[in-house]
Amino acid sequence: MARKALIAGVTGQDGAYLAKYLLEKGYTLIGSSRDAQTCDTSRLERLGIQSDLELVSIAPNDFRSVLKALSTLEPDEIYNLAGQTSVGLSFEQPVECMESIAGGTLNFLEVMRYLGLPSKLFSAGSSECFGDIDVESATESTAFKPRSPYAVAKSTSFWQVANYRQAYGMYCCTGILANHESPLRPSRFVTQKIIQSVRLIKQGVLQELRLGNLDVWRDWGWAPEYVIAAYQMLQQSEPKDYLIASGRTTSLREFVRLAFAAANLESEPYLKTDSDLVRPSDIRYSSMDPTLIRDELGWSAETSMEEIVQRMYEGKLI
Amino acid sequence: METSTKIALITGITGQDGSYLAELLLDKGYVVHGIKRRSSSFNTNRIDHLYQDPHVSESRLILHYGDLTDSTNLIRIIQQVRPDEIYNLGAQSHVAVSFESPEYTANSDALGTLRILEAVRILGLIETTRIYQASTSELYGLVQETPQKETTPFYPRSPYGVAKLYAYWITVNYRESYGMYACNGILFNHESPRRGETFVTRKITRGLARIAAGLDQCLFMGNLDSLRDWGHARDYVEMQWMMLQQDKPEDFVIATGRQESVRRFIELTAKALGWGGIVWNGEGVEETGTRADTGSIVVRIDPRYFRPSEVETLLGDPTQAREKLGWTPTITLEELITEMVNTDQEEASKEAILRREGFIVVGSMENPPSCINAEIKGPCT
Repeated sequence: MARKALIAGVTGQDGAYLAKYLLEKGYTLIGSSRDAQTCDTSRLERLGIQSDLELVSIAPNDFRSVLKALSTLEPDEIYNLAGQTSVGLSFEQPVECMESIAGGTLNFLEVMRYLGLPSKLFSAGSSECFGDIDVESATESTAFKPRSPYAVAKSTSFWQVANYRQAYGMYCCTGILANHESPLRPSRFVTQKIIQSVRLIKQGVLQELRLGNLDVWRDWGWAPEYVIAAYQMLQQSEPKDYLIASGRTTSLREFVRLAFAAANLESEPYLKTDSDLVRPSDIRYSSMDPTLIRDELGWSAETSMEEIVQRMYEGKLI
Repeated sequence: METSTKIALITGITGQDGSYLAELLLDKGYVVHGIKRRSSSFNTNRIDHLYQDPHVSESRLILHYGDLTDSTNLIRIIQQVRPDEIYNLGAQSHVAVSFESPEYTANSDALGTLRILEAVRILGLIETTRIYQASTSELYGLVQETPQKETTPFYPRSPYGVAKLYAYWITVNYRESYGMYACNGILFNHESPRRGETFVTRKITRGLARIAAGLDQCLFMGNLDSLRDWGHARDYVEMQWMMLQQDKPEDFVIATGRQESVRRFIELTAKALGWGGIVWNGEGVEETGTRADTGSIVVRIDPRYFRPSEVETLLGDPTQAREKLGWTPTITLEELITEMVNTDQEEASKEAILRREGFIVVGSMENPPSCINAEIKGPCT
């Protein structure tokens, strides 16, 4: 019988790519959004899979909603990708951030515990939890030093999952995901904002690209590869947390240069810094070490920075 | 030149720390505002002795009904009070309970802290209001180094620990993002005669004192080998106040630097009661503790008190508090236990007298079962 998976947050970038991957593996797939009737299914449509999965409404911050869904569906695997996703937005909506991320995770854990479900849970963690990595690269045992309400909520979620795994022997784990991009990234994310602006500049519609702080460094990867790591984490005999990253750090300035290069343009003439776009606090440098997931699960990020930017510029989905 | 009176706001003022802190601040001439939750029964017994009749004199202790789960309530109170200092001590603070009420714990302990920080930010009080956040050694949980200090990584082991983790980091985040004077006191366990009866130290001193008075027969315990760093709450609230008097905000560990087991705490309590000590027999769930003087069994194990995931050991390093703020604890563990035992013996004596005189005394349902009437051969049901 086909394995059944539930993806909470299926309408987002990762949800859509993971849905496509699991469907290709022959899963019976259910995806959820807070409101299945009004949600934005465009990413599922762009991948051509909108008719291949069942779409349901689940509000992760509402215990009853999660209880009803899990007791009815009884999925073998649960991928909780739901919750607020924007570091910048979290400074303005810190309560919604905490409730949707940590409250949501807690509800999934509590429902699984309450029902005694043998399901496996993947929780989406974030490398934002590490904060500034000063000396060496971050690994799974690097202490968290979160620098935004988003990162604080994700840190909380990580420890909730760890606590339930240890206290109750549940199969639940966190993939600590470094930044991962694709053409399905929403435009509030700086990478997509840059790509879209470059396209408009090339067309002569836009004259400038306004950014906040260009001197930030991140580990950027290709989202379709990263969802495979999430899947692999749920196929093991024992649950374990893994850092999912490329191990390669690039500056935002360099990303901008590559984006303009994809359009055969120089970045200098169009680049403007705007202090209003600078965050109240931000991570300057973020370096990751994905050795563990490579050694134990055989997963590694293969797509180069140049290819990522090129594919985003061309709108190449896979 | 007259120094204007400082105004403090304490959440959790009806708790152990809240009551000692209120006393300290009133002694220092503060006007003290406290937030307490509405209850259909009186719940101010720890601060009743501080009550000043407003008809007689101007009261410097003012209470407000409020709740850390209610954003607008907090904003309104802080707007009215305009405190110079906020001490966020209010929380669901019982580790074992948090396993059964993880969501409520997160709401009051994690989001509650965020609501306080956001209230100060929203009301434009960042320049004038300092915030103390009650953080906890439970953050260290499965300790990553011993002793634990300010730089030790966290590893929480309960929903309480996780909620407090959120509160700690959101406090740091608001300090860094907005320049708020907000800081964490990472307090290791701190006790007193005012400790809640379901916290293990008070459970022990009260339980054994009641056995001494003939009111109970046996104390049921969980993990006897847990190690903790225990201080006196009165010492610790002094440090909380000091942390808000500095030029810039900083997080501090508050601890004694001395570690003992729960088993040892029981033995010291028995000594303070004049029993000589406790003799231990058997092991695991079958283990019993008998009075060294009479040989009667007074301690048994009940597995219901084992936690789903345990914090085996905590030991704090308060070097930074000593070197930067000149703070050291003054009350030893033995003195703490003696003080707690004296108070609990007095309470037990009162009850014994009432019972002897024929009054009906009903205990609390939260009082652990102790087989007051049964002949004990095995664990009570």
